[in-house]
Amino acid sequence: MNREGKWRLAALLAFVLVVVAAIGAGAARSAMTHKAAGGIIVDGTTDSVTNIDPAGNYDFGSATADALIFQHLLEAGPGGLTPHPVLATKCGFKGNLKTFSCTLRKGVKFHNGKAFTAADVVWSFDRVVRIKDPSGIYTLLSNLKSVKAKGKYGVVFNLKAPQATWPQILTTGAAQIVPKGVYPLKRVKGNTTKQIGTGPYTLSKYSPGQQAVFKKFKGYWGKPAKNDGVIIRYYTKSSTMKLALTRKDIDMAFRDFTPTELISLGKTKGIVVHKGKGATIRYLVLNLKMSPTDKLAVRKAIAYLVPRQTIANRVYHGLVKPLYSMVAAGLPGHIDAFKTVYGASPNQAKARAALVAAGISRPVNITLWYTPTHYGDSSADEFAEIQRAMQAGGLFKVTLKSAEWAQYSDALGKQYGAFQLGWFPDYVDGENYLLPFYDAKSNFTSNNYNSAKMNSLLTKEQATRVTAKRLALMRSAQTLAAKDAPIIPYWQGAMIAVSRNNVKNIPKTLDPTFIMRFWLISK
Amino acid sequence: MAAQGTSLKSYLLTRLALVIPMVFILLTMVFLLMRVAPGDPISASLGGRVPQAEVDKIRHRLGYDKPLIVQYREYLWDTARLDFGTTITDRRPVTEIIKVNGAATLELTIAAMFVAITVGVFFGLVAGRYRDTAADAGSRLFGIVIYAMPVFFLGYLAQLFFGSYLGILPTSDRASPLTEALLTPHTNLFLIDTLINKNWAAFWDVFRHLILPATTLGLVISGIFIRLVRVNVIRTLKDDYIEAARARGISERSVVYNHAFRNALVPVITIVGLQMALLLSGAVLTETTFNWPGIGHQLIFYLDNRDYAAVQGIIVVFALVVVFISLLIDLASAFIDPRIRY
Repeated sequence: MNREGKWRLAALLAFVLVVVAAIGAGAARSAMTHKAAGGIIVDGTTDSVTNIDPAGNYDFGSATADALIFQHLLEAGPGGLTPHPVLATKCGFKGNLKTFSCTLRKGVKFHNGKAFTAADVVWSFDRVVRIKDPSGIYTLLSNLKSVKAKGKYGVVFNLKAPQATWPQILTTGAAQIVPKGVYPLKRVKGNTTKQIGTGPYTLSKYSPGQQAVFKKFKGYWGKPAKNDGVIIRYYTKSSTMKLALTRKDIDMAFRDFTPTELISLGKTKGIVVHKGKGATIRYLVLNLKMSPTDKLAVRKAIAYLVPRQTIANRVYHGLVKPLYSMVAAGLPGHIDAFKTVYGASPNQAKARAALVAAGISRPVNITLWYTPTHYGDSSADEFAEIQRAMQAGGLFKVTLKSAEWAQYSDALGKQYGAFQLGWFPDYVDGENYLLPFYDAKSNFTSNNYNSAKMNSLLTKEQATRVTAKRLALMRSAQTLAAKDAPIIPYWQGAMIAVSRNNVKNIPKTLDPTFIMRFWLISK
Repeated sequence: MAAQGTSLKSYLLTRLALVIPMVFILLTMVFLLMRVAPGDPISASLGGRVPQAEVDKIRHRLGYDKPLIVQYREYLWDTARLDFGTTITDRRPVTEIIKVNGAATLELTIAAMFVAITVGVFFGLVAGRYRDTAADAGSRLFGIVIYAMPVFFLGYLAQLFFGSYLGILPTSDRASPLTEALLTPHTNLFLIDTLINKNWAAFWDVFRHLILPATTLGLVISGIFIRLVRVNVIRTLKDDYIEAARARGISERSVVYNHAFRNALVPVITIVGLQMALLLSGAVLTETTFNWPGIGHQLIFYLDNRDYAAVQGIIVVFALVVVFISLLIDLASAFIDPRIRY
């Protein structure tokens, strides 16, 4: 080898040594850096953020970030479902159910040092209604006529129609409080501008699509957070997030792993899968203006055949539970209406009898639509089970079709006769599982269900002050919903978070409100 | 020479003039394709939560129910004023996406091209120099297999082996969470930003995160270079001036490396430039596999949400980037190789 060749070989060896040293040194340094920041919780998620400004978002990813920065007059949980005062000290209806007033907490400061007053509450609600953001968050305040300050620490909400669940509305994303003047009245504040709330954390850095960094707010009025800060890291694929969790790049992950990934993680050393009561549901919508689901007998036959337990066991490995009402189990007023009317398990004989009685020839041709891009790849397995159950006795001939979400959501009631949807509640009350599906004015499913009896039940329910009477009306609505079967619920999900085994207190925040209260978590 | 200079000048002016109709055709195609695809940004974000009547109201308020020709006119007018607008989904200025996510893609692209050129040129040279030997066969086989392998599959293998099994390299993102949280962005090119911040620990962290995605992408592209360099080396070694150099008694090593190799690389420059331009528009599969927040990764997000403004804006900017890069390559080729005439 000549001299030039020796120099080249030496340069190549030096380069390789530098790379190897970088890998090793970097690994050691990364470990030290992460260990040094022991009080910071790093969470992974496959959700994404649209807008951090509460007036501009109606999605889960944004709501999870907002919960760290902003607060409400009333909040639900952890654990309990009844709204309790947070930025308010006392709230109640005055006279009828159209006037609701609150006394505000004194001594609360925003992250910029400004004192929290009634003017901020009025501003926060006014701007949501004025901005009418395309996210649709303002629809939660559709019953709000006006909000007025009563002195420095009092507010009065005037409603258009009686609404017993107005306190629950005050726990939603539409009711988060922002400082007057800092947040524009007529437009949404940009994500990379400074976000100001009263919550236990400040947003110190936000990199869209990458991560959000939250620092503990030292001037917080309430109990300080149990950690020094939170980093939420955004992933496109759950498999990448799973790898990050097993490699200890992140401490925990909240939303969303596939059922198979969860089972695998549950068997992984050093990882814990935490399950709590959840309130998300999955259901099959039937279009009342399209054949064959326009016939009640066909809808009943489908209701007799849906294999809830099989889906829960085979597709979701026990991570979901069979659901027999659109109102989530565990909520006050829930009854297993579909179980009462159609039984707990598929019943071919009764399905056949329903079709025969109506003179409907078999097999009934039907197309079922689902969307894996929004509800996950397990949707295909879910619908394969439904298809199998419906075709088993020769009663139906089922064609399965899928579409990606943007196309699917546009086509729902216009082109699809039977389709998959899911729901997580805006507020944790049975009403939020009835109005959006069965009330003619609020029904978003576009399935053309319009029952005068149901509309009347739901109007009465909203205007009923006495809880026992309200719950009785909800039960009647569920029974009617089962008999009319415009929608067939089939599973209810748990609130699931996965973490390394050194992360503490996650179970304390797992409840049907589906809020991840990072301030309770430590490691 | 004067004639050559004039023809180059007129070639350049013609190419620049052609940019306008090229971009106009692209704008129109993007506009139509986005609107022909089922769904729109409003139903994508509101579908499944809000009554249809409310969705229609919002659609009307934002002008998505206006006649297509009206929407098209407004779109062209905004583009002409270089107002690429703000995304509908998350209110980000499109220029900010280009700056931030474009920088992530640029960093990945440069690193991947470094790997591609190093590996591709090395194996191509070996294959060309030792034609019809085991080294040639091995290099060609490697080039074919690596080019045929889907980049996400190679990425998964790399993550599993180096990240999970050996545990020596990170499997996703540009940096670890704390590094990224503490990094002050200047250029949005993290390697450079860490040097500006004089944070050596952060530099190594970012470098380590870059290794797997850059190597994965670079190896796949190297397949093109292996074959191209091989063919050019073989062709160049047959040229008369090479025979003349051998006849003058110059060593075979010097003939290959100092004479043939450099000339064989000239066509490779063109391909390098074109590949870079293509990658800058987003190495989508690599970015998705490694959760790399580049422009391709963002484009998928906006496409899924039918975010017209985002998709139109990003594609227009990158069309301009590709057009100008290909123009620069043509100019560079003309200067490097005097045989190229216009």
